[in-house]
Amino acid sequence: MAITIGVLCCHYTNQAGEEDFQGIPGTVIVRRYPCSGHIEVADILRTFEEGAEAVLVAGCEAESCHNLSGSQRAEKKVQGARKILEEIGLEPERVRFAFLPRLDTGPFMQEVKKTFEIALTMKSKS
Amino acid sequence: MIVAERKPIRRVLEAIEPYQRVLVLGCRGCVAICSAGGDREVETMAAALRLARKRAGRPLETGEATLIRQCDPEYLAPLREWADKYEAVVSMACGVGVNLIADLFPEIRVYPGVDTTFYGANTALGEWQEKCRGCGDCILDLTGGLCPIARCAKNLLNGPCGGSQGGRCEIRPEVPCVWHQIYERLSARGELDRLMNFFPAKDWRPAGHGGPRDRIREDLKMDK
Repeated sequence: MAITIGVLCCHYTNQAGEEDFQGIPGTVIVRRYPCSGHIEVADILRTFEEGAEAVLVAGCEAESCHNLSGSQRAEKKVQGARKILEEIGLEPERVRFAFLPRLDTGPFMQEVKKTFEIALTMKSKS
Repeated sequence: MIVAERKPIRRVLEAIEPYQRVLVLGCRGCVAICSAGGDREVETMAAALRLARKRAGRPLETGEATLIRQCDPEYLAPLREWADKYEAVVSMACGVGVNLIADLFPEIRVYPGVDTTFYGANTALGEWQEKCRGCGDCILDLTGGLCPIARCAKNLLNGPCGGSQGGRCEIRPEVPCVWHQIYERLSARGELDRLMNFFPAKDWRPAGHGGPRDRIREDLKMDK
């Protein structure tokens, strides 16, 4: 059962490389942005279109966002995406937001793994 | 500006159910400013429609474009070329845009992507409030610039009503009673005499109750 997840993240939330994602038994679509505030609802939906079963949006902890409110805006975009998923009959929990410490790959990968687990659950239900 | 709100995706999906190629058409006028039908919202609507149709096993092809305005024939001209490429158009403009497309291009099947709600102001980030109802007979000169037609739940011309309590509306207590505000405003200016005369019963014909309204400025018209 091939599983794909999407990770849309602020560039400053992690330094994960290819080797970090090798532990994930599926495909990980990774998109890095200069700030999570740049991530739009449409970007999230397009990642689902590409085949992701679940999507993680990751931004910096609120007090460390270098654009001040970028990650807080991103969290709201995730809420907007959840509403649309619900409207079209998909589980809103397929998309989630995580506030993460800057440039700390450990917590980032934990969130990636959690997202993969959600994807696995969703795939097995469908 | 004219304020609008995205239609539930399900409603749009129902409207375009028979089609496989749809143009999602935004407007950079009022609906872009109130974040309902500009470039971003076009992208979101198109992606949501494609995703829903893909999951339903009936993939949808979408085109995405945003015009400067949809309420002017000259800006709608590109539709003539695009019409052949798509089976239907989802207009993210206000109802004016949808109507004008329907008037000018009878061959195009056009469906609304937003619900047009009111004439309003952007009072805070992400917040719009109704300020005018386009009633066609403005009395703001007599009411301190505050409109009792748009901002009173009962459209009272001689308010406040008996339900106004502590300066709040009885219908929605979070909304200030506009007649209370009008009184306070004129009182502070020493202009309460403006309220000494009763407003007579309003003629609602200029508000549209006499059928669709139009406006003609002869000096701007050109003989064809």
